[in-house]
Amino acid sequence: MFNLLQLFIKLSGFLVFVVLEAICFSLVVKYNQRQEKVYVNTVNQLTGYLQSKTAATVQYFQLYDENKRLSKENAHLLDRLANVGINVQNPLDTAWADTLHPKYTFLDAQVIKNSINQNHNYLVLNKGSKDGITSHSGVVTDDGVVGIVRKVSKHFSVAMSILHRQTKISARIRNKNYFGPLVWKSTDIHTFNLEDIPKHAPVTKGDTVETSGYSAIFPPGIMLGVVDKLWMDPGSNFFTIEVKSSLKMSNIQHVYIVRNIFKEEQEQLEQSVIQQDE
Amino acid sequence: MNNVTVVNVLRFVALLLLQGLVFKNIGVGWESFPYLHIIVFPVFILLLPIRTPKTLLVFLGFLIGISVDFLYDTLGVHSSAAVFTAFVRPLVLKFFEPRGGYNMSYSPTAARMGLGWFLRYAAILMFVHLFFYYSVEAFTFVYIVDILMKTMVSFSVSMIFVVIFQLLFNPLD
Repeated sequence: MFNLLQLFIKLSGFLVFVVLEAICFSLVVKYNQRQEKVYVNTVNQLTGYLQSKTAATVQYFQLYDENKRLSKENAHLLDRLANVGINVQNPLDTAWADTLHPKYTFLDAQVIKNSINQNHNYLVLNKGSKDGITSHSGVVTDDGVVGIVRKVSKHFSVAMSILHRQTKISARIRNKNYFGPLVWKSTDIHTFNLEDIPKHAPVTKGDTVETSGYSAIFPPGIMLGVVDKLWMDPGSNFFTIEVKSSLKMSNIQHVYIVRNIFKEEQEQLEQSVIQQDE
Repeated sequence: MNNVTVVNVLRFVALLLLQGLVFKNIGVGWESFPYLHIIVFPVFILLLPIRTPKTLLVFLGFLIGISVDFLYDTLGVHSSAAVFTAFVRPLVLKFFEPRGGYNMSYSPTAARMGLGWFLRYAAILMFVHLFFYYSVEAFTFVYIVDILMKTMVSFSVSMIFVVIFQLLFNPLD
């Protein structure tokens, strides 16, 4: 207490100085028009600046919810986009019952586990049978195909990544209609192989490879990559094509799970025909 | 009341009248050259006895500043500068302290400390005072060049008067 008092006495000159300057400046601002204008202007600018800063900070904390909202909206938009192509095929004067139902539905999901350095890589997603996910649903992002759902539990689903030796994705070359399976044979996570493209196909380097839509898992037209190298092995009737993908599998967070509503119907039909022939 | 107090009270009144009645009109009269203000009243702060306590010093600075403000009709502008000058004075005194220390009964006048010493001491404090004054007058450092110009011009003219007073009256206290 005594020390505090001593400190107070020692600082008294400074304290009086501060108090008097404060009084002076309040007088300056109050009784001098020009200075008052400058003061009001500065204070306005300062509060404006502070307000915009706090708003930006608050916004930052809302980013998570905002992200979730946006990915929901994206799923909704993809939903509509994937079904546009189907409806256009129909004559304008007929309304088919099926066209009122979308063929593909998109659901946004979060990746909660991911691997890229194995031969068989898997992803774990935070949506499950509770959300209507079934096995053999496609998993995509805005940049391309990520994988295919293998097994579903109530709250989670496991997808085999596109980086899995057994994953085959039905692919085609954009605008050229030659199709074949896209597989991962290399050790590089950006390099894939497109197989079964016949040697008379007019494929050139730089062609875009996209999903074909034949497999009933992915809607047609989702980006897979770009033709990087192609050559013909002697004695083969098919090209060997290396496809470069720009998808960053290592830091995937938001994905969309695609479901083809008519998939079972389509597959049952295919199976019945195959069985008849055997 | 001892001699020193009387001298300082008289100086207070004299400088106040000189500043408010004479030099104020010179500054305003030269409309074409608004850079010039002749400001001499800080001499009162400069010449207070060395032993004056800090608190009293700052308070007296405020007193003469606010009095000048009333005459200039610029409430707060002169007083803030005067308070600042009074606050800085002990630091400047410490900087110019002679080897043997100050004689605490003296005042920092030219007669006591020598003209050269007084010139340096007064120059620093006058400059500080004028710079602070013009800063508060502009109330923004956007016009820093303008502030410095005004400070330099007013400083040279004001210093001439400060020195003339010192030589004219040559006060001991």
